[in-house]
Amino acid sequence: MATASDIWTEKYRPTSFAEVVGQQEIIKRTRSLVQALNIPHLMFAGPAGTGKSTLALIIVKELFGSSWRDNYLELNASDERGIDVVRQKVKDFARTKAMENVPFKVIFLDEADALTREAQQALRRTMENFTNTCRFILSCNYSSSIIDPIQSRCVVLRFKLLEKKDINVVVKRIAEKENLVLSDDVYEILYEASEGDCRRAINLLQATASISLNINGEMINIIAATSKPAGIRIVLDYALAGDFINAREKLIEVMLKDSVAGVDIIKAMQKEIWHLPVEPEVKVKLTEKTGEIEFRMIEGSDEFVQLQALLASFVLAGQGKAV
Amino acid sequence: MNPYQSLAEKYRIQNYQDLKGQEKAISEVKTFLQEFPRRKALLLYGPAGTGKTSLALAAAKENDLEVLELNSSDLRNRAKLEEVLKPAALQHSLFKKGKILLVDEVDGVTGTDIGGIAELIRIIETTKYPIIITGNDIWQTKLAPLRPKCKLVEMKPLPQAHINDLLNSIALKENMRKDFSFLNKIAIKSQGDMRAALNDLQSYTAGENILVDTSELRDVEETIFIILKRIFKERSDFLNLFDSTKMSLDEILLWIEENAPKEYKNIALAKAFEALGNADLFRGRIYRHQSWRFLVYQNIFQSAGVSYAKSSAVQGFTRYEPPKRILKIWLNNQKIEKKKTIAKKYARLVHCSTQRAMRDFALLKPIIQNINVQRQLRLSDDEIEYMRV
Repeated sequence: MATASDIWTEKYRPTSFAEVVGQQEIIKRTRSLVQALNIPHLMFAGPAGTGKSTLALIIVKELFGSSWRDNYLELNASDERGIDVVRQKVKDFARTKAMENVPFKVIFLDEADALTREAQQALRRTMENFTNTCRFILSCNYSSSIIDPIQSRCVVLRFKLLEKKDINVVVKRIAEKENLVLSDDVYEILYEASEGDCRRAINLLQATASISLNINGEMINIIAATSKPAGIRIVLDYALAGDFINAREKLIEVMLKDSVAGVDIIKAMQKEIWHLPVEPEVKVKLTEKTGEIEFRMIEGSDEFVQLQALLASFVLAGQGKAV
Repeated sequence: MNPYQSLAEKYRIQNYQDLKGQEKAISEVKTFLQEFPRRKALLLYGPAGTGKTSLALAAAKENDLEVLELNSSDLRNRAKLEEVLKPAALQHSLFKKGKILLVDEVDGVTGTDIGGIAELIRIIETTKYPIIITGNDIWQTKLAPLRPKCKLVEMKPLPQAHINDLLNSIALKENMRKDFSFLNKIAIKSQGDMRAALNDLQSYTAGENILVDTSELRDVEETIFIILKRIFKERSDFLNLFDSTKMSLDEILLWIEENAPKEYKNIALAKAFEALGNADLFRGRIYRHQSWRFLVYQNIFQSAGVSYAKSSAVQGFTRYEPPKRILKIWLNNQKIEKKKTIAKKYARLVHCSTQRAMRDFALLKPIIQNINVQRQLRLSDDEIEYMRV
């Protein structure tokens, strides 16, 4: 056993089915598949931090025991440069047969929804070509962003956001091991700030613990605030005041400084609309516009151009005009 | 004197004093030479005939420096650049006279000469002599890596009055019969391009000493500034507006996007950005589906769409600026390079994407500051230093 990591998301990552918190239905199904030593292609659909990568790791550890590293390839579609790189890596990996009594290797393709539809078509061919030697586990946020032919080749398992009691179990477990003293409000606030994302909950806890082992809810809140894309409200305030140029300047600054993707900006804006000092009718109009822009971004438009169009609408809204 | 010499060559300015209307650029060049080697290279940019090369040559003369001139239109490949530039940059001048390296028309280094720009950057990093680079269109992507290596100095089109004065004094020196209104016409037509004005002057005199008026207009490539002016000031359909420029639609879109808020406010601005958003939407579709037919939509939205965003034509002068955000993104990428390599190491260890690690970086920072974590991630000294700030 390698020395335990000092990164808590790794240190406390479950290594067996029994340790997993939440997602019990999914655990039951995958466990029986693994026991039969034969898994189909799988697709894990669900939000970040709900255990998709963890479950993939558990599956290969159960299947291959200590030699799991030789039989497992982890790729991240959003980090690889294009589908060709993915295919080449798959090819190199799949060339040799699995050594164990399991007749296949496992490839985990994380964030598969980062692939374009064309790339997914190519991926589908690859899956077919290596179906004798490899099983794919694809992970994505929404299964709807994966083309049908791939979905039909996979068993789709849907991961839900972790519930409060699940997050509490994890937090309690870590607090005991790390000798943390938590005040009562920590559980509630940590759950709220994590939004059901276990990775985020643990990171928040560790970031706060790096300051003090005595933790209260307010400290969690402060840490959580510093890690949110700040400045969106300032961008919108400039826009509502009619100052488009400064709004745009600030927007670019926010996006570049913390490497925030356009889609995350627009989500933050959409939430912020309801706190803005404008008429309710205007809020609805702005929401409509925001939705359209978000859709365009997912379709692959230039996020800066689209966000500027949205800012111009906020300028109008600030003057009480129709958007 | 060589009788075949063109007027433009014959009257090329010799010193700072003769270069009228570019005082700001001159003082920037002076500072650059004084402070050398604080900045190694200076990039003079601006439309043709504004005196970029002249300013460089004048600077050499004023400081008694030898000029090693490189026209990258001639030196179109890396091998040649290397052969000519390297020895000059690395060896001292024979007579111990200082040197200026002049790389003229850097935008002439074309995409096929891959390595030309990279080579130039390497030379900038090692040079013992100040380098002055000139170029018209320095906002092209291929020059992106070069820009941050240089001090950028803009040269603006010359005011018409300056061109008028110069034409008059040259007509006098050349014993041409004066015709003020015609000289004035040439000056207007030149759009701030001194060389064009002199060439016109020469072609219309054609060896005789009488100015011959012709009403034919100089066929200049419409610069992006003129295109912007027409879109923003006029109200028109402009279906052929972009035909006169070599700039791509995507690049023009960036220029319009940058300058729209300078021209339009409120409803007009919202409409203009709606049009730009649509142009961008079609651009995305073009790239995704390779449907080049959609170019026509992108074209119309970003020309007529933006032009009709206002309810009536507008007057007045607006100073347009080159698109800044691509440069900003690029500079930012340089700045966050370390952050990216750290995020990558972290991501690999914890089974998430580099992008996610980048996004969560503020939260992860206190965790990665832990010395044991840094050891486990095998952070380099540089990266550890980065985490300290």
